[in-house]
Amino acid sequence: MLDVAGLRKVYEGQGHRVEAIADLTFRVGTGEFACLVGPSGCGKTTLLRCLAGLLAPTAGMVRVDGVPVAGPPPELAVVFQEYGRSLFPWLRVRENVELPLRAKGLPKARRQSIVDDALAAVGLADAGRAYPWQLSGGMQQRVAIARAVGYHPRVLLMDEPFAAVDAQTRADLEDLIRDVWRRLSVTLLFVTHDIDEAVYLGQRVIVLSAAPSTVDADLAVDLPDERDQLSTRADPRFTDLRTQVWSRIKRTTALEASP
Amino acid sequence: MIVRRTVALLGLPAVLVAAWWVASAGSTDFYRPPLARILAAFRDTWFGRRLLDDVAPSLARLAVGYTVALCAGIAIGVAIGASPRLRALTEPVLEFLRAIPPPVLVPVVILVAGIGDLMKVLVIVSGCLWPVLLNTVEGVRAIDPTLADTARVYHIGGTLRLRRLVLRAASPQIVTGARQALSIGIILMVISEMFAASSGLGFTVVQFQRSFAIPEMWSGVLLLGLLGVLLSLGFRAVEARVLGWYHGLRAVARGSR
Repeated sequence: MLDVAGLRKVYEGQGHRVEAIADLTFRVGTGEFACLVGPSGCGKTTLLRCLAGLLAPTAGMVRVDGVPVAGPPPELAVVFQEYGRSLFPWLRVRENVELPLRAKGLPKARRQSIVDDALAAVGLADAGRAYPWQLSGGMQQRVAIARAVGYHPRVLLMDEPFAAVDAQTRADLEDLIRDVWRRLSVTLLFVTHDIDEAVYLGQRVIVLSAAPSTVDADLAVDLPDERDQLSTRADPRFTDLRTQVWSRIKRTTALEASP
Repeated sequence: MIVRRTVALLGLPAVLVAAWWVASAGSTDFYRPPLARILAAFRDTWFGRRLLDDVAPSLARLAVGYTVALCAGIAIGVAIGASPRLRALTEPVLEFLRAIPPPVLVPVVILVAGIGDLMKVLVIVSGCLWPVLLNTVEGVRAIDPTLADTARVYHIGGTLRLRRLVLRAASPQIVTGARQALSIGIILMVISEMFAASSGLGFTVVQFQRSFAIPEMWSGVLLLGLLGVLLSLGFRAVEARVLGWYHGLRAVARGSR
């Protein structure tokens, strides 16, 4: 569904050159939930922007459903890290969720029912009339998720969406996103720097090396499909997996630090 | 609460008017008549045919000139703000044009457009355009990149993007420009009527001064001040509607710091 082949991104500035992504090749199958982790500054956001068609890669290719990405592909949605800056502050919550549906040209009645469903799916059925900035950070990110859900994408990209919320809210949102993924049967790529989060959420964890990044490891998460904040995180297999990911990341940062 | 705000709003003006009243009460100076006489002149002068013959044409020209400047400024500003190349190309010219004091243009505009209504409207447009245009350029240029990315990802384009993203995101700056333009517009409304006019507030005030109708002249100045206050109150009411979200957002941002 999501194919990345030989992706490379170099930023050329005046007199300096930053290689963010060296060579990335991986594939996320239809309906799969993959998490992408890497040390901070490893070019995760650059990668996500390339995948979303917001940034042209220096070399290589991204394909969504077999079609090469040249601009933002249809049926792809993104949830950004900065929820406060990705929601339209002059639109009410309902209007924020509705805007992409207007762009799709859906009739009003259809839009209304989709918005109702999407807001209910994220537990915000009563917040439709509020402005985003009247809500807490966690609730704002729920609005952004509702907007993505209402859009009915086949591929959903999430860029460290829970990095800026508190731990309790974060746990709730993690369970919410597992729920959304199952209900939509969407292909989901979740970028995070939090190893526990990656292992808890994904069916697969792709570990990136430090910049210029390459795929360092690709681990299947063989935890049961029903996950629970308490029992899953206490599962010996969970701790085993997170140790594996952890040591991988440690090694790649150590390699970089040594001359 | 309401009483307090009313006192705060009207307190100082009331004191100043009272001081003027008392200080000028026994005045026999021809050029500085007592306020009582000015107010009497005010009533006799402006609540009659002059309301239609002089006040209405002035305000109509202001309304037309201001509206044209607003529309043109926003349209051109959006186009320039959205394109870095166009911006680099036009910036020096815009700065130059803005730096020209608009009253200087009156003789030039008279050469081109004669001395009719068109001249006066053009003078108002030529002064009001720049603050709107330059602020719109700034507002459009400063659209949050994350918001622009969001619009791209969800394929929000064309007029929907213009109406729901560009104009709204730039609206705080556009309003700032529009506010500056309004006060410039009032000034130019009066100045344009001081040259070769046969009606209007500026014309009437100058006419009174030349015919030594001093209390009437003062009453015209008073009327202009009051019109300015009314227009700015109206502007604030519109602003509260258009920028309600912005003030709310700012209040939240201040509260969380």
